[in-house]
Formats: sequence, structure tokens, C-alpha cells
Amino acid sequence: MKSRALDFERYRLIACLGPGGVGKTTVSAALAVSGAWRGRAVDVMTVDPAPRLLDALGLDGNASEPRTVSLKALRPVPDGAIRRARLRALKLDPKETFDSIVRQHAPSAAARDAILSNRIYRNLSSALAGVGDYMAMEKLLELVSQADTDLVVLDTPPASEALDFLDAPRRLLDLLNSRAVALLGAPAGLLRQFRLVDLAARAVLSAFDRVTGLNLLADVQAFVSGFEGMYEGFAERAKRADAILRAGDTALVLVTTPETGRIAQAREFLQALEKAGLQVNAIVVNRAMPALPDTKAITAAKLSAALKRKLRRNLADQAALKERETRSLEALSSVMPSQAQLLLSPELDHEPRSVSDLGVIGANLRPAEE
Amino acid sequence: MELPRVLFITGKGGTGKSTVAAALAVALSHRRSAVLADLSTHLGAAALLGGALCEDQTVRPSESLEVVALSQRAELNSFIKRLVPLAAISERMLRSRTFGYVTAALPGLEAFLLLERLRMMAGEAALHDRYVVIDAPATGTALELLAVANGVKGVAPVGTLRRLADDVQEFLTDPHRFAVLITVTPEDLSVRETLATAETLRRARRIEVAGAILNRSTNALFEEHELAQLGALDAHRRLAQKRIAERAAAIAARRELEQAGVVTFELPMLYRAAIGMREISALARALAAALLAQ
Repeated sequence: MKSRALDFERYRLIACLGPGGVGKTTVSAALAVSGAWRGRAVDVMTVDPAPRLLDALGLDGNASEPRTVSLKALRPVPDGAIRRARLRALKLDPKETFDSIVRQHAPSAAARDAILSNRIYRNLSSALAGVGDYMAMEKLLELVSQADTDLVVLDTPPASEALDFLDAPRRLLDLLNSRAVALLGAPAGLLRQFRLVDLAARAVLSAFDRVTGLNLLADVQAFVSGFEGMYEGFAERAKRADAILRAGDTALVLVTTPETGRIAQAREFLQALEKAGLQVNAIVVNRAMPALPDTKAITAAKLSAALKRKLRRNLADQAALKERETRSLEALSSVMPSQAQLLLSPELDHEPRSVSDLGVIGANLRPAEE
Repeated sequence: MELPRVLFITGKGGTGKSTVAAALAVALSHRRSAVLADLSTHLGAAALLGGALCEDQTVRPSESLEVVALSQRAELNSFIKRLVPLAAISERMLRSRTFGYVTAALPGLEAFLLLERLRMMAGEAALHDRYVVIDAPATGTALELLAVANGVKGVAPVGTLRRLADDVQEFLTDPHRFAVLITVTPEDLSVRETLATAETLRRARRIEVAGAILNRSTNALFEEHELAQLGALDAHRRLAQKRIAERAAAIAARRELEQAGVVTFELPMLYRAAIGMREISALARALAAALLAQ
């Protein structure tokens, strides 16, 4: 049995996945602080952190490049490893990241401007959740390639499905696939070489264009051809990102909370990840209830009968909630892959407000009892 | 309170949207008939009332209650099938990657079709004198969803889609047909997000906010002075203290919401090991008393 929560020395990347509202960003930040506390040079990328967490990390709204977080408030570890420790944090800005990739890789100034002003691009780069996922991936590649960083902790955008994040490169590549350019831009004479279904898609798109008044076809074509020449670069980076996520020194951490609905979602995530051949190293159940006291002390205490009744009632109420949590966790354990560890992160009595609060969350992370 | 035909339940993740939506649908079905439309991917509300349900299916837990699962993808599918009447081709097309490019490039399209479906449901509900309760996505996604009709107006200056967009926008801003209820728990973050959401909906979107449902609101059980007597019972004192703090948080949450002009309905915390039909019924009674009595 593994005794430690997560082996921070073993990993170069810890990626936290999970649905929205489970405290994924907090867990990521806590893992990053723990890594730094164990003497590693850590970068953490957060996605949409709550204002207070931003404060805790000393970030403002526009920290799209890594900024150093002061670790002064943390107690040094006994072995003196604190000397090497370093923590930097940044906040993902998907639109900014996408724009900068286009600026960096566009073959010409004209191609760059054509993309940046394209209607489809503007929709895509601000609104679409998949773009956030993809840009997190691009930023990740940038972070892991830094020689002076031991460990990258990655928070991912809230997902409704497990593969939303991991699948993002493939989805974007599909979008930019040169086949679409050929298909949409091809003159009628060349259409013979396409499959029937492609022709139907084209026919539907033009019918759709007419009916809706969108004039979409021309924009889609312009958008896709704008990326011509950049496609190989995207494909190459997507392949690298995929390899990194599957590497032995990467830990995939699924974050959830003990509520019944969330656990059902976490089970779906696990199954989807397993199907995709991805190994989950740990599941963190955030905001788990602490252990409850028993009634013996109440019976023995010198208190009024009324107060004792209230204490018993309160304990029974909490025990019911604890029982609900236990049942949820059992439902989760039954589908846990054998290599994965179930970790509980007990609820704090307040939101994390500082680096030391995050350190406490990291230190309290403990394996669930078998 | 005069309720609109369609009640859209949203809130921060983990505040109990599905449970509240299920309970509200049950409460309304006792009054007239009700439809619960589950928009979430894991179909939580549907599961609470009707057991397992697949995309675009309907179940009837009682005479006056219908549960239906809706998804953006299913709406797009039926839209395509209307455009391409030949089933063999439309189905292959939906599976083809090519079409994926277009829906990815116009992210609002699927969402817009879903809103159009809700507008149709409101029309049917008026016709049959029933209510529609929607178990909607969490706040961020829900706000994006509700903004889509205006977004479509921006990209389609003329044409069928533009006319549909105008109709959908009119529906969303008509308080007799559509209103939002926000689920909130007595926690600082949750309350602040609710206030921001209500403000955005009202000011920027002109969408009616029927109120906030303050879920998991507990009673204090203890009085402050009793804590002092629990000196040696450390663990029990902490639990008692937590209970008092939770009550105080509920009172503060309610005050803050009402000061901002958001009518607040409290639902009790259910100290039960499982949430089943019995618990949903209890919440439905509490909702009927709070919401429908007005």
C-alpha cells in the first residue's frame, strides 16, 4: 500500500481534471504549494480562479505569464530542501494565448491579420470551451519545456465530460484539417473525388447558409485556409502534448466532491478515461467530512439533559450526512482502477486565503481508509 | 406569485440545482401539470424522479408530471434532419467530421436551437395550462446559453435565423413566459456569484429573476451560551459551533440577497443518508409553502 498522498519527486506534471465547482483550482494550487514545500521548483497554471484564491497566490486578473509566489509564510521542511523551492503561478487567458500562437506561427502578416479579424475565429477564440482546453494544452507545452522547472501543476477548464480537455487538440486539428479547406473551397468540377457524405455536408451547409442568412461558408473557408501552413505545427504540438499526458512521470488527478451527483459524474469520467487508455493516478475527493466523535463523551459529561439531547441530535444529523458520503465513496471505490489512489481532502472551516492555507490543504490530503 | 410558464433553474456547481428542479416540478405537478426538462449531461434531476433516461426520451413518474431529457446535440440532430429529409444521408452527415467543423466554428448554433425548443415548450405549456421546469447548466454555462439568441442576432442580420432569434429573445425577456431561479447555498462564494448572476440577468439581459432558492439552510439547534458549557467535549463543541455558524451564514445570505432585491426562498438542509423520492417530496412541500403561497 502506498502511504504517501502523491509522490512529488516522481512526477514532472500533475494534471487536475474534473467537473466545475469541485474546487479543482484550489486543489491544484494546494498540490503546487505542497510540491514547492518539498523542495521542488513548481509552476502552477490556474484556470478561472476565485478572486480570493488569486489573492492567496498574489495574482491579479492579468497574470498570463508565471509570477513568483512568496513562500515565506510556509514552515521550512526538516531536511532543508526548502532552498531549492520555488513557486510561480499564472492564470490562463485562452484568447490571449490563441492570439499569440497565431502571431507567432502565421506564415505572413497578411495571413495573421486575416485570421485575427475572421468572424469564425473571433467566435471560436472567445466563446468556445474547447479553445480554453486547447490553449491550456499549448501553455502546458510552454511550461514543461522550461529547464528550470521540476514540476508543473495544471488546472484544467471545468469539463462536463472527461475527455473535453484531453481530446481538445484532436478536436481543433479536426477543425483545421486541410480536408475541410479542400471540401469547402473546391470548385464544383473537383467535387467528384469527395465522398457522398461530404457532398451532402456541403449541400447542407449551403442550404443552411441560404436559409439562415449567415453567409457562413465563405467565412469557414477563409478561416480554415488562414491556418494553412500552420496546421503541421499545431499537429506536431498536439502530438507532443498527448505524449506528455501519457508519460510515466505525469500524474492525472481526478478531482471531485463527495456529493452523490458529483460522484456519479466522477464515475463517468473514470470510465471514459480508461476507455481512452489514460491512467488516473489519484482521485481527490475535495471537501470531505472529518471523522465524527462518538456519543460516549456526551453520556459521561455533566450537562443538562436538554443540552445532551441537542448534542446527540446534532451528532445524528452529521452522521446521516457522513453516511451519505460513505455510500458515495463506496460507489466510487467500486470503479476505481487498480493503480489509482483515493485521497480525501478534508473541508476547511474557511476558504483558503493565503499560501499557508493552501499548504494546510496539501498537508491534510490523506489516503482514504481501505 | 404569478409564475411564468418556464422556470429556468441555475446556480453554482454543487448548490443542488437538480434536486431543487426535481422538487419544484413535483410541487407544480400537484397544482397543475408540469414538465421537467433536464439539460444536464448526467441527467441528475431525471434520475431523481424517473430513473435512467436517455437523450430526448420522456418518462412519466405520475399522471401530472412528465420528465424529458434535452440536449443541444439532439436539437441539432433534429434540425439537420429537417433540412435533409433523406435519413441515410443526414445520419451519416451527423457522424462525419466535416460537419463537426461547422458546429465547432459556430458554437452558438446548437445552444440556439435548444433555446428555440424551450420557446416552443412554453407555447405548448400555455396551451395545456402546465409549467415547465428546466434543470439548467451551472451559472457560467447558463449565462452563455441565454446570451446566444442575441449573439445570433449579431451574426445573422437577415434571414430565417434572424427572425427566430428575435422570437427567442422576446420569449426570454417576457416575464410571463420565462424566469430564472438561482439555487444558492449559505456560503460566501455562492452568495456572491448569485448576486452577480442576478445583476447580469436583470440589467444586461433584461431577463426576469424570480428569486434565489437558499438551499441547505439549517437551524442553529444550539444557543451561543451553551458552547461555554461544552469545555471538555472538544469535538462536540466544534460540531455545535459549526451548526451555529451555518445558521448565521444562512441568515446573512438571506439578508444580503434580499437587500439586493432578490426574493429568497429557504429550503431546509436534509440530514438524510440518501436523497430519494421521500426527500424530494419533503422539499416539494417546503417549496410549495414558500414559493407558491405568495
